[in-house]
Amino acid sequence: MREIVRRWDRFWFAPAPASTLGTCRLLFFGSLFLWQWQHDFSAWGRFSSVFWMPIWLFETAHVPQLSVPAIAVVQALWKASLLMSAIGLFTRSAMAVAFVLGTYLLGLPHNFGQTQHFDTLVVFATGALALSRAGDACSLDALIAAASGRSSSDPPDDGEYRWPIRFVWVAMALIFCAAGISKLRHSGLEWIASDSLALLLLRQQYHISDGEPLTRWGILAARHGAVARTLALMSVSIETLFPLALVSRRARVLLVPAGLAMLVGIRVLMGPTFEQFMMCYVFWVPWERVTAALRGRIAANKDVQAHDEGHEIAKARS
Amino acid sequence: MSPGRRTVVNLVLIALIAGSAYDIVRDQEHWPFSQYPMFSGVWRSPSFSWLRLFGVTADGREFPLDANRFIAPFDQSRLPKALRRILDGRDPDTRVRQALAECLARYEELRLQDRHEGPRLAALRLYELEWTIDPEAANVDRPDRRSFIAEVQP
Repeated sequence: MREIVRRWDRFWFAPAPASTLGTCRLLFFGSLFLWQWQHDFSAWGRFSSVFWMPIWLFETAHVPQLSVPAIAVVQALWKASLLMSAIGLFTRSAMAVAFVLGTYLLGLPHNFGQTQHFDTLVVFATGALALSRAGDACSLDALIAAASGRSSSDPPDDGEYRWPIRFVWVAMALIFCAAGISKLRHSGLEWIASDSLALLLLRQQYHISDGEPLTRWGILAARHGAVARTLALMSVSIETLFPLALVSRRARVLLVPAGLAMLVGIRVLMGPTFEQFMMCYVFWVPWERVTAALRGRIAANKDVQAHDEGHEIAKARS
Repeated sequence: MSPGRRTVVNLVLIALIAGSAYDIVRDQEHWPFSQYPMFSGVWRSPSFSWLRLFGVTADGREFPLDANRFIAPFDQSRLPKALRRILDGRDPDTRVRQALAECLARYEELRLQDRHEGPRLAALRLYELEWTIDPEAANVDRPDRRSFIAEVQP
């Protein structure tokens, strides 16, 4: 039992740099803000109760369908909170507002006949960040605190900066794994061995998806049964095995890009819009290593430049 | 990290795992938790049916509202499923006509905002279309069967 607790603690709370979480916060909220900037949720307020089919969360918590002007106010506040969360101004409050209002706005469309699944990871990620100290680095708050002498510009490594990133990892792994299990539970290996995916790829061409397929390549894949079955095998394998990425570095190197490629493939061949889900991939990037590599390259370039300049001066003198 | 805060965070982590596991094991959905059942069924039939709205112009011409811009914020997946649930529920005739009236009003609102290029409509009709899936998807605009369900006028 003690060993399990030790492993749990090490997985979630091993010290990590604040800058990595700060970079994830900046990129996640920044991309979400840009993605949602043009999106208007307020039209959902104009439909009557005939369309209102509340999902569990809204029904249980008695969350109402707001009017058009009220939703417009909520979404304006939400978008402002996304921007403030990205730049890191009043970060903790902004992230809390982003989570509460975002859960309402992202959940709202699902009360109109169909629950789609492109945004659940965004809700989980926003929730984790709302509880986190992601504003301790790469934020205006941190710059202001450092300038006023209230804190150092570079906080020490801490478990506070590890668990929100791991939270998103685990949420993503659960989502992928659940999708794989669903296929195996409802269809078994027939999902892979039959022409099911080929028929699905063709069916998606008939304007029945929330987004149109970006290409007609799905028809090409469907034409060759072996290609469609290989894609089906890869999909179920990536989804079901994705939790291995949590515990194995080798599996992570393979499964994380494969999962992203699968989402891109779904968008390109079938249509469903997983763009918001893809934004959560910023949490898989070891930004401290990316930053260190970039700094190393810049320093090396400066050294070469200084060496060349010194060489030129010596040459001119001689 | 203080012990109290670590306890709160641990409870949140356990809630994420337990909520997800519950829906996966019970094959249920409690958004944002879910068992993620999309595309999990096996497709064996080469044919399928789908509900679709058609606009009717003043000269009687019909055209399918098969792009999201005509029906936003709904999309071509959500709206047919919502209409199906209405048709399968209580008092379907009255309720589906009310739903169509709202879709027609929304179409016109989007048209006046130049959000789509569609003409002014004299009526909106709901059909159930049935296709035999073509290997080239060449019959998208030519379903095998078209069953009229309801019509509304402005």
